[in-house]
Amino acid sequence: MEAGEDFGPWLARQLKLADMTQTELAQAVEVTRAAVSAWITGRATPRTETIERIARALNTDLATVHTRTTDTQAGLPVSWYHRPGHADGGRELGNAAAFAFDADVSVLARETCQNSLDERLTANGQPVRVRYTLHELTGETLARFREAIQWDELYPHYEAARAQDQKVGRVIDAGLRDMYEHDRLVLLRVDDYNAAGLTGDDYSDGRFAAVVRRQLDSHKSGTSAGGSYGLGKATLWATSRLGLVLMNSTLSEPHEGRTERRLIGRLDLPWRLVDGEPWAGPAWLGRPDPESPGARVARSWWADEETVASLHLTRESGEPGTSFLIVGAHDVASLVDDNAAFEGDEGEDNDSIQRMHRRLVRALGKNFWAAMTGGGDQLPLLEASVRTLRNGDVAIAEQRVDPAVAQPSRTRALKAFLDGTTVERLTESGQVAQTTVPLNLPARGGGRASQGGEHRAVLLVTDAEDADGKPNRVTAMRGNRMTVRDAAVPGLSLSTNPFQAVLLTGAAAGRQAPFAAEAEEFLRAAEPPEHNKWGQTEELTLTYSPSAYRRITSLTRETNAAIKELVARPKKRAKAGGGRLAEKVTVGTGKTRKPRLSAATLPVLEELDAQVLDSGAWQVIGEIRIPAGGHTWRLAPVAKFDVRSGPRPTIAWAELAGVDNCEVVDGTLRFADKARSATFRGITDPATHAVRSSLSGLVVELRAGEGESL
Amino acid sequence: MTERPDHLPEYLARLADENAARFIGDGLLSGKDSVPAIALNQAAEPLPESPRWRLRALRDLIDDAMYIYRDDRPTQADAWLAPRLHAILRLTRAEAADSALWNYLALGVAPDFVVWRHRSESKKTVNARYFKGPYHKQAFARLWWSAELFRNGSDYEPVVVACGNQDMLNTVLRLDVIDHRPIAQALVGLLRREVVRTGREANALGKAVNTAAATLMYDAIAADVERDAGALRRWIDEAEAGISVQHRPLPAGPAEEGAPQDSVERLTDHFAELFAEAPVRGKEEGQAEAEED
Amino acid sequence: MKVFPYSRLRGTVSLRVDAVSVKAPEQPREQLDSRARSVTERVVALGLAETEDWETAALTVSATIPSKATEPGGPWSDVVVVAVLTDRTTNTRVTTRLVPESEGGREWRGELQVLRADLFERGVLTVQVVATVDGVPGRIIAEATDDWVVDARSDAPVREQTFDIKEVGFAKGPRWLQNFVDIPWIVNAAGRLPTVHINTDFEGMTDVLNAEGRGPEGLVNELMVSQMAADVWIAVFHSAIGELEIEDDGTPLFPYGWQGEVLREMLPDVVPDRTLEDALREVHRRRVGATGWTELQPRIQYAAMRRAGVPAALTETVRGLDKLKREDEA
Repeated sequence: MEAGEDFGPWLARQLKLADMTQTELAQAVEVTRAAVSAWITGRATPRTETIERIARALNTDLATVHTRTTDTQAGLPVSWYHRPGHADGGRELGNAAAFAFDADVSVLARETCQNSLDERLTANGQPVRVRYTLHELTGETLARFREAIQWDELYPHYEAARAQDQKVGRVIDAGLRDMYEHDRLVLLRVDDYNAAGLTGDDYSDGRFAAVVRRQLDSHKSGTSAGGSYGLGKATLWATSRLGLVLMNSTLSEPHEGRTERRLIGRLDLPWRLVDGEPWAGPAWLGRPDPESPGARVARSWWADEETVASLHLTRESGEPGTSFLIVGAHDVASLVDDNAAFEGDEGEDNDSIQRMHRRLVRALGKNFWAAMTGGGDQLPLLEASVRTLRNGDVAIAEQRVDPAVAQPSRTRALKAFLDGTTVERLTESGQVAQTTVPLNLPARGGGRASQGGEHRAVLLVTDAEDADGKPNRVTAMRGNRMTVRDAAVPGLSLSTNPFQAVLLTGAAAGRQAPFAAEAEEFLRAAEPPEHNKWGQTEELTLTYSPSAYRRITSLTRETNAAIKELVARPKKRAKAGGGRLAEKVTVGTGKTRKPRLSAATLPVLEELDAQVLDSGAWQVIGEIRIPAGGHTWRLAPVAKFDVRSGPRPTIAWAELAGVDNCEVVDGTLRFADKARSATFRGITDPATHAVRSSLSGLVVELRAGEGESL
Repeated sequence: MTERPDHLPEYLARLADENAARFIGDGLLSGKDSVPAIALNQAAEPLPESPRWRLRALRDLIDDAMYIYRDDRPTQADAWLAPRLHAILRLTRAEAADSALWNYLALGVAPDFVVWRHRSESKKTVNARYFKGPYHKQAFARLWWSAELFRNGSDYEPVVVACGNQDMLNTVLRLDVIDHRPIAQALVGLLRREVVRTGREANALGKAVNTAAATLMYDAIAADVERDAGALRRWIDEAEAGISVQHRPLPAGPAEEGAPQDSVERLTDHFAELFAEAPVRGKEEGQAEAEED
Repeated sequence: MKVFPYSRLRGTVSLRVDAVSVKAPEQPREQLDSRARSVTERVVALGLAETEDWETAALTVSATIPSKATEPGGPWSDVVVVAVLTDRTTNTRVTTRLVPESEGGREWRGELQVLRADLFERGVLTVQVVATVDGVPGRIIAEATDDWVVDARSDAPVREQTFDIKEVGFAKGPRWLQNFVDIPWIVNAAGRLPTVHINTDFEGMTDVLNAEGRGPEGLVNELMVSQMAADVWIAVFHSAIGELEIEDDGTPLFPYGWQGEVLREMLPDVVPDRTLEDALREVHRRRVGATGWTELQPRIQYAAMRRAGVPAALTETVRGLDKLKREDEA
């Protein structure tokens, strides 16, 4: 028999959930209280017929008691718990953390993927796999989903919240209207596999509590963690127009003896009054916790597969990790971003999930190209994909994010480093040059006794590609392969071949790099919470010394110097003497070419329609644009053959006539007074052709007659 | 009379354009004055003292040419002189692109030849561009380059044919199309077949080919073989070693492979068609006799 | 405006040099550092080769052509892409066929060999797309939008060319300069590249030439340098206009090399309101014709002074002098 949890702890929790004492159970199944106690502590197990009685007492079926993979439905069912209004009457009109962000799936992708990377299970050397699923629900499917999340119970709270004239209220209102008027709801699910999952107790320190219970909590896993379940998790709620996120986690370490299908939902609404009662803001979907005051607080529960499916939270395997389901996902930023694709409301509705799909792919590629790059014997740290569904059917097939598409040259650089195929010096386009840059680590604690060491960061330089964005930049990263610094390399001549440089520091510099661990630690201390630069931080000052940040300044300087060494040309040898004269007597710089004078009145040949007639002659119809005041020009249309080099043989006109706004007098065009355009027609004389018409190109020009004034 | 310089150094030299201009005066152009040899050599920049740059061999060749054609029209000396000049003055193309060398030849080595060959009977003067001018005009550069561009590998015979028609030198030589060897050889082929005989005809042919080449890539239709660095280097090394070239027999050029025969034939046929349709400028248009000034 | 009696390919044909190597006989091939080619300037500087007596250079050329060229059903068949390197001064033309990176692909690549002996200074590299059109083989249907320069001598891959500046004592210098001992500089615009000869025998010339800053010497330097530059531009303009090749009908051909650059930069100021070709024709007509040449001189001076930055230099100098005067008075 498949057995989930041990009988003792399982039974203890069922009693708690059912709000039943050991004595009450003993009476119901007709055993002594001591016998129940022995089951719970694991000293004894009940006999088969007793189990039947237990099932009855717990109001469940026999199988549930046998398998113990889920909780009984005994006691208080899964429901929404809304935090009551504060006793002091305080009102919070929205989750400060969540609403600090505008809904932006690019930010969401960055933050969630970062969390997954931080929570990656490292022991097996496998990447963490992250999958984003956009799922549009309509009609019956939407109705069933609403039922599953107990919408009717939530609705009064939304009604109250939407009425508020705050940003939150307007967002919720838009979300509700979208759902009701268009009968659609977009779910965005973020799954990770081979990650830690939401481990730990419901309330005390641990990943679960960090995500579900707290705001601004940073629960860091490894020593190289870049993000955290801190501010970043708020983007999950920010992306939901309904402030609603459901979670299903498979744990890497058992909790309550279990790992699979730990579920909880969390709703973030502002303070509201519903049926005359004040509510503080957040609400949770879960099992009422009998141990909480009044047994009202909802805690996570171990759900059965059916429930998980109805909530669209089914995970594809038993691999540990977490699924976040953002209900009512939207992307305000995409409207600004993809202005070109935006064509009215209609367009927005039809395109929005495609657009979100595209933006997710792009954001993942842009932010995680390094983590997604493997090479040599190293697998990538991360694999990411995006797919889009409509009512369960595939709308856009799963698309694996390819770092080489988003960041071709940087990815090439890192891959060449991992593969060991870098070169010392660039000779051919597509190569990756590798060198090292020193980072002198200060001693910790500013002590004179302990010496630092010299870390050698790895610098990679390769030709830029258009897809990488701005060229001539250096991106720097640590072991987590997140870009911390992205800066232009200053002082390069415009003629430098466009390049991209990648600086790998600390653990990213590879196993052979000296003082990698120390560098990793040092740079992490120099990294602010935004993870966007290295510099003076409080931590750096306290752990090292107030002047420690200068080591980073010098790393930057050394890096730029090393890049220049690889890509910048030595200054052109100044020709002997002449002082500043040289710059004034230089041709072909392209800088001196002035735009043509705007007052030009010279008529120009705008269009030329030409065809070869049966006689072998060219017939041309030329359209001339005449600037204001240009009608006084006397211009002669001239026909010539194109040549490889040297003079072009002239062709005589057999016929030349004005068609519109001009007449031909002595081979020159006389334009009609104040005409702004004119048309002429000409037929060449084949007897003057140097070759058959079909053999060469025809050049037609308007030539100003002699003596035209300057 | 412009006479051979009374001072001839042992080796050739370069005479920069700005210096050359000073020695080209009306007296020289009308064939009355000689060039002040000492002043000229002071303004010149000597070339390395190696057998390749020996002046005497060149001067002897020019004397020979003027002697052989003393009773003929000087234009006829071109076909004799071009291949022999090329074989004696062994240069890379990069060296031949240096106008200073040609200036020195015209002013420092053989101004008398320039006057003899290029003095216009009607104007009684020499166009200054034969002393100092573009490669297709300057008295010696035009001969050397026509030998370089019309030879077929080591075979100078096509040069003799081409230089037998003054318009090949005067107009066709300056067209970029002949930089592709099969084209040059095909043009010579038409002269040899006597499809093209007069200067006007050569002119019309060159114009037609140059015009058609604006849309046709002859390199793709009729390929040539790759240039051979080694053959040229060995040929120049022979000169450095002091080889002497006979004047009477036609010499042999660098041992390069000739233009592929099928390419040349394909183009010869093609050009014959072009030429059949091309208008040849007639006398009624008042074109003066092929340039002789 | 140009028209062709057959279908040409629209769109951009781009060209890149991906690698450069040189080879001397019996020596290993030298791969040149990527700094020997500039992707932005589109120049290869073979002067950076360390192998001194290299004899051949090999350029890895790649081209991107519009996909329409090879789409089935189009007017073109037997499409080939050919790289063409030409040097007008050595009458050299070398071609090589590129090979598609993938079947029917847009990327073509190949290697082009050129002899050092065939390059005088600057060769021009382009690619042409050739196809059979309406049964005519070998038609050029497209050409690279921008060409590359292959410089056999320069050690810097840049397009711009600075005229030669020589500081020399005229008294003991080349014979022809000895005629000019009493002037501070002379411009010679004949020859391969125009040259400014600066007379170091002229007292104080070197000091003024090397003076910097806002002091009196610096101000004089500024003014003098712009005046020298104006002289240069007037000289090179006349030189460029004086050596034009003329078409049958008397139309001058736009020259190549520095002469072409000079005309391109100055003609819009000399003959405003016209196309470059028209302007060139006008200037040439006045030069060889009966009238108008003298009248054109002010316009040439105008163009040269603008190009040399004389107005700005003079303004600076006047301001600087005012400032010095005020400082003196204070």
